[in-house]
Amino acid sequence: MYLVASINTEVCAATSCKLCTQYCPEANTILYNNDAGKDQGLKYGSAYVSVDRCKGCAQCVWVCDNMAKHNAIKMEMIDQIGDQALTQNIIYGEKSTTAVLANPVPG
Amino acid sequence: MSLDYVKFTPGFDRFMPKEYRDMVEHGPFGKKTTVSQVGSFKEILEEHPMCAGCAMTLFIRLAMISFPNPEDTITVGTAGCGRLAISQAAIPFVYGNYGDQNGVASGLTRGLRLRFGDKPKDVVVMAGDGGMADIGFAQTLHSWFRKEKFTTIMLDNEVYGNTGGQESGMTNRNQVLKMAPLGKKFEKMDMLGMAKVAGCAYVATVVPNNPRRVENVIKKAVLIAREIGPTYIQAYTSCNIEYAIPIDKVMEDAKAVELDRYKFSEYVSEEAREYLADQYGYKEYMPKPAPALAKS
Ligand SMILES: Cc1ncc(C[n+]2csc(CCOP(=O)(O)OP(=O)(O)O)c2C)c(N)n1
Ligand code: SF4
Ligand code: SF4
Ligand code: SF4
Repeated sequence: MYLVASINTEVCAATSCKLCTQYCPEANTILYNNDAGKDQGLKYGSAYVSVDRCKGCAQCVWVCDNMAKHNAIKMEMIDQIGDQALTQNIIYGEKSTTAVLANPVPG
Repeated sequence: MSLDYVKFTPGFDRFMPKEYRDMVEHGPFGKKTTVSQVGSFKEILEEHPMCAGCAMTLFIRLAMISFPNPEDTITVGTAGCGRLAISQAAIPFVYGNYGDQNGVASGLTRGLRLRFGDKPKDVVVMAGDGGMADIGFAQTLHSWFRKEKFTTIMLDNEVYGNTGGQESGMTNRNQVLKMAPLGKKFEKMDMLGMAKVAGCAYVATVVPNNPRRVENVIKKAVLIAREIGPTYIQAYTSCNIEYAIPIDKVMEDAKAVELDRYKFSEYVSEEAREYLADQYGYKEYMPKPAPALAKS
């Protein structure tokens, strides 16, 4: 098993800055949902990781901790993080995306 | 090479893979997408085998997002790490023999002009420091001296990354590498100086830890190459494997190198400034209004 990035929606949506989406070396991997967290009264929407594209480099963790100073991203084992966004389940909208979450490790 | 090639063939759309459908329906084609919108549209770059956390990967990703007209852009590359990603994008990629990239791009640019006239088709070369400053040195310089109108981007990781760590002309003096165990004996080549001497209309250095700046530099270089002359960007894109940079320290390294020897620099010829101001509304290059006369 291997590590992938996982973004805490509550922490990100409280202060969101979109920096990690610009610094992830992989394309189409950290996406943004403008509505995430709004049902809990959080303001900004949140970044999230399409985990099947993540190469586990942890640069986003460094960017969130040191540049954004928000500490919203942790590296976690792919088989232990529960349901996540996967490329096949991402829905692109006009200005934002959403993802139907699913278990990243098949059966 | 137009918006027509990013459409579905009638009747086939439902058979296309999801990534392809997303690209057609939510990609950047025909829109003006920017780095600040990433995460909300489908990028043209797809999955590729470059190393995890490689700064060259990040730079290529940002460059692809920054192309002013991706539907009218062709990239040219050669052997080296970068082509592993550049070839995996939804725009045409031409693979030159090692070192041939600026020769290939010269012919391609001229051919496109014959075929499409004044309608801009952007040719962008991206190749490593070895491919450009060593093996392809003559072709690079000659394309500049001939004033070929396309953009040349050096992915400068200061080493031959793809073949396991030989020194290149762009490696720094005294640098020890796996295949240069005694350290390099001479200085890093001044390709920026040579680009200016050879007559490039735009010359810039950039480091990928400033995504908006990368965007700005790429856009200017591509636009200027359409009409004014050759443009050259030299990007520091570290190799975490050959320089043993821990992958979560790649951005720290980029910052340190930026401060040390890769400070942002930009040369824009007078003609290019006027062109950017007149054709594309670049305020920074518009003539400053004459100061109001002081009342006597
Ligand atoms: C004519 C020829 N000579 C040698 C090679 C082997 N080769 C492939 S990649 C490479 C080095 C690439 O180094 P650089 O251009 O700096 O790019 P990097 O991999 O560092 O990005 C070499 C020597 C080749 N493919 N063709
Ligand atoms: S850097 Fe951190 S706070 Fe900013 S968008 Fe990414 S996860 Fe959210
Ligand atoms: S760990 Fe690396 S590849 Fe994965 S989301 Fe973070 S920056 Fe991107
Ligand atoms: S070998 Fe170096 S330059 Fe090549 S992909 Fe790996 S980290 Fe990047």
